[in-house]
Amino acid sequence: MTIRLEKMIPLPLLEQQRNGSGIWEADAVLFEKGKSYLIEAPSGKGKTSLLSIIYGIRKDYRGAVFLNDRNILELTGKAWSEIRKAKLSFIFQGLELFDELTAYDNIHLKNSITREKSSTEIRTMAERIGIAEFLSKPAGILSFGQQQRVAIIRALCQPFEFLLADECFSHMDAGNSHIALDLIREECNKRGAGIILTSLNAMKEAAMEERMEL
Amino acid sequence: MNQLYAILWKDHSRAHLLWAFLGTLAGFVLLLSGIQFYTDIRSVLSENRDLLDPEYIVLNKQVNIGQTLGLHGAGFTPEEIEEIRQQPFAEQVSSFISNEFPIRGYTDNDRIPDFYTELFFEAIPDQYIDIKSEDWKWDPEEKTIPIIIPQDFLNLYNFGFAQSQGLPQVPKGVLSMVNFRIRLTGRSGKYDDYPGRIVGFSNRIHSILVPYEFLSWANETYGYFEKTDPSRIILVSKDPTDPSIIRFIDDKGYDTIREKLKSSRMNIILKFIISFLVVVASLIIGLAFLVFLLSLQLMISRSSQKIVRLNKLGFHFREISRPYILLLLILLVAVTGLSLLVTGIITTQLSRAAGEWNLAISSSLHGIIYGTALVLITLIFVFNVLAVLVSTKKLCK
Repeated sequence: MTIRLEKMIPLPLLEQQRNGSGIWEADAVLFEKGKSYLIEAPSGKGKTSLLSIIYGIRKDYRGAVFLNDRNILELTGKAWSEIRKAKLSFIFQGLELFDELTAYDNIHLKNSITREKSSTEIRTMAERIGIAEFLSKPAGILSFGQQQRVAIIRALCQPFEFLLADECFSHMDAGNSHIALDLIREECNKRGAGIILTSLNAMKEAAMEERMEL
Repeated sequence: MNQLYAILWKDHSRAHLLWAFLGTLAGFVLLLSGIQFYTDIRSVLSENRDLLDPEYIVLNKQVNIGQTLGLHGAGFTPEEIEEIRQQPFAEQVSSFISNEFPIRGYTDNDRIPDFYTELFFEAIPDQYIDIKSEDWKWDPEEKTIPIIIPQDFLNLYNFGFAQSQGLPQVPKGVLSMVNFRIRLTGRSGKYDDYPGRIVGFSNRIHSILVPYEFLSWANETYGYFEKTDPSRIILVSKDPTDPSIIRFIDDKGYDTIREKLKSSRMNIILKFIISFLVVVASLIIGLAFLVFLLSLQLMISRSSQKIVRLNKLGFHFREISRPYILLLLILLVAVTGLSLLVTGIITTQLSRAAGEWNLAISSSLHGIIYGTALVLITLIFVFNVLAVLVSTKKLCK
């Protein structure tokens, strides 16, 4: 799968002062399957907008977005839900967890429509990134850093060709971020999938193939 | 998928659904019992109709002061008779003829007390008369006049007059053996005496009847009164339960023995009650349907954030609708089951009570009850499912 942007810019950014280079200024931007991309930018530059537009949940943009050469505006609701179940996975900045469900149920909710992982696999992943003991707790009472890790595991419970990770380590210490990133890379490699990771600060430890600016 | 149901069912508007549930239940029970009851009564009425012979209804005009003063006649004009004939319920119509000359009757026998009276005769064609007798014929050779009197006359004498006056009671058979003399007087005062004999007692026609042929002949021979319109009409109706009979009679201000048209009147009242019941039940069901619709919409709109979130996770709006549809299905199946159960209990109780009055009312539900319940529930279900699908689709991108 490829993701191609053509002169794409979110409408709220049109008014903003821009630096004359970066994704918003490019005629075309191509994201290829299997590659990893790190998008660094300060707040308000449109990191979340970019990922949300690619994921089809925001439509306020100029230009065009193509998934496998198909303009995403042509996609139906059914096509989008297929894509979100099997092609694109999203770790939302706002997490989008259900507070009233336990951490495990939040993960299982996604897994139940994809049947991607066994419950043992889910537990193994949780142990690895240090949230195994919180699985039976309601997601609402966990710390934001713990919730981020729940959201990461949930995003990995599906087949995908691209993982969109929106500031998914923002509330984790360096050590935990590293462990989580390793898990993410491993899962992406298994699928031969690409990653688009956004971050506020340069993650020096993250060896990404391409670093991009907005 | 348990998590999905846990998320979407956890909502406080479930209380509204309970009210919708109870409302629909009440409406269904009313409607179904109404239909059940109506079906029963109708079959009871039509059973009676089959058992009975066609009903013979004797019509006359109501007597009023105008007639007493001789301002207008009490008879049916030919137009009026024709109008009655035109009514859909009138199978056959015939008018009575009456004597157009004076008649007197007296006894001519030593063994019974002397008796002398002025009389009247009426006649209608034989097919309307409920007495079938060998003697019921006019033979000019034999000259005996057969007479039918109302059963009530004999009763009046036997159980009223005779008892109070210390006179012997007379059985039908004895009365039939008594010979009377009948004196018919012509215009010139010339009279002829004929033997007369009671050959039957009618329950149907309250008059003193003689054979039609005889009275026609006698009117020709002796008659000199001015011809008047017939004051009584007999009509035969196949279906005495037909409500239009009583309506016609009431509208025209005619009179009849009301007892005979009881089932016609009952039918009118019953239809009124049942239609009232059906209207009320439909209203309740309509309202309950609305509450269902609104409760589900409220649930959906309160969960709109959750629905948007689920959509982001890759759930299709159909998948998101499923918990709502399942909830609806459970409630509606429960409504159907419970309302059939309650209607069944009511029916059993009613049939037991009716049994004590010797009224055969079915103790099990009619097929039409199941049909109606199924059709209504399906309609409510389909409309609500459509509404759920539309509103979840709106929330999904």
